[in-house]
Amino acid sequence: MPVREVPGRCVVEALGLAPSPPIAKNPRVSLRNRAAIVGIGQLPFSKNIGKPEHVSALEASVQALEDSGLRATDIDGMVKWSIQTTGENVIARSLGVPNLRFFGEVGYGGGGGCGTVAHAAAAIAAGMARCVLIYRSRNRGSGGRPWAGTSRERDQSQAEGNETAFFSPYGFVRPVDQVAMFARRFLYERGYTTTHLGWIAVACRKHARTNPMAMMREPMTLEDHANSRLISDPLRLFDNCLETDGAAAVIVCAADLARDLKQKPAYILGASQGMGPRNFTMNNYFKDPLLESPGAHAAKALWEMAGVSPRDVDVAQLYDAFTPLVLGSLEEYGFCKPGEAGAFVENGGLEVDGGRLPCNTSGGSLSEAYVHGINMIIEATRQIRGTSCNQVRGAKLSLCTSGNMVPTGAILLRGD
Amino acid sequence: MADASAEFERRTGGEEWIPYWDAGRRRELRFQRCTACGQWRFPPQPMCASCHSLDHEWALSSGKARLLSWVVVYPPVLPAWKERTPYVVVLVESDEGCRTMGNLLGATADDLRMDMPMRVDFASSIDGDLVPQWRPA
Repeated sequence: MPVREVPGRCVVEALGLAPSPPIAKNPRVSLRNRAAIVGIGQLPFSKNIGKPEHVSALEASVQALEDSGLRATDIDGMVKWSIQTTGENVIARSLGVPNLRFFGEVGYGGGGGCGTVAHAAAAIAAGMARCVLIYRSRNRGSGGRPWAGTSRERDQSQAEGNETAFFSPYGFVRPVDQVAMFARRFLYERGYTTTHLGWIAVACRKHARTNPMAMMREPMTLEDHANSRLISDPLRLFDNCLETDGAAAVIVCAADLARDLKQKPAYILGASQGMGPRNFTMNNYFKDPLLESPGAHAAKALWEMAGVSPRDVDVAQLYDAFTPLVLGSLEEYGFCKPGEAGAFVENGGLEVDGGRLPCNTSGGSLSEAYVHGINMIIEATRQIRGTSCNQVRGAKLSLCTSGNMVPTGAILLRGD
Repeated sequence: MADASAEFERRTGGEEWIPYWDAGRRRELRFQRCTACGQWRFPPQPMCASCHSLDHEWALSSGKARLLSWVVVYPPVLPAWKERTPYVVVLVESDEGCRTMGNLLGATADDLRMDMPMRVDFASSIDGDLVPQWRPA
């Protein structure tokens, strides 16, 4: 068939395709309820996993496939953390995935976790994939430290000068320093104390004690927290997450497929990302308001999409690489007003038994494992399945957030 | 490992930061300012977010600032910094509205109060470079 005159139109006709409909202007298009987490897998967390990151990522991926009932040949998409050193093709080759028609990644380390789920769900809602594998493997317990320049991990913040090392001539390079600088001002303006930080550490530890996968299971009291050594005043050792070798994987698939698989689906009611103005990775002190985190922006988008409110949430995994981040998330995700997060966490406010909002129910980054939050996505999923070590009875809405010192994201999962 | 640490400590944001560190060696505190619209900015970036001009200068700061926050750094730190622990790093906002950091001179952490006036001074970094630092005004 000759192709002439208005080329675009003729090509459409030549190929026998229907003409495109007018560009839709439908603000209601959403990934809400279009996808679900259907598979989870994780290897035991440790200080030294004894194998390379690409091998542990594969093992976790196989676990997630077996958990879901899907086969490797069903996987047609992958999303990873940009900081992950193992490429999708490495995983796809060994699993025997015949083709990936969608693959992408999300940057900013611990800010990226929920974003990987958001991208998977968005790809599914857009018809670019049906079954998406997400993986994170990290030898951070036995391997090098990015802040010390001894790790192979690189994030895009380093593409144009290393944002996290801007102030290295002043001996200011560790993540704990960068959070402590934020935390001192935050505690001062809100009237919070380091005892409030202690309540967060204690709640995470209490939950970890019943989790056989958790790295830290010895009891911890407020006194233990207050007596732990200073690392970056006002933050102490027990305000810090763990150094972990870990590998985990999550499978997200289309909602219509999810209900026929092995597990109770954790439907994605909402997923969002947020960066806010004038963002700098970790050294995020150059925007106004100074104390507003990217989480405020992810939260707004999340609640708008999900159509529910913080009051409806049964259980939350609030990113806790350092204790102060949890206080910020309680405010910004709307569980309390600014200045009220201290009273919120006091007296077991985050604990499963009788807490105001059960949080970080597997122990979180502080006491289970620090793997850029994929363990928290998995725990949020378990809460919907009813299989958590610290199960919130009848949990129907399960929130998970990512690191809010960097561009971040959040997901809200629901049961049937 | 020692070489890796030394190399790391010199990585300070790449080429856009060179005029900031160069000014410090001359005992000057300079921030970027858009020559098209006059907007101050720091940390440096190639384009003015107000007017999208790429033209800028490194303008002299008054050196006066307000204390926004501080930390006291304890080990573990990079080997080169171990001797100096515990040391203080401050976050300040200059009269021009630029925020920056530095070590604390002429005071201890106990002397610090939120929002107190600070002024720039210059003292060597661990690698011997003269860099902008801060002391109570």
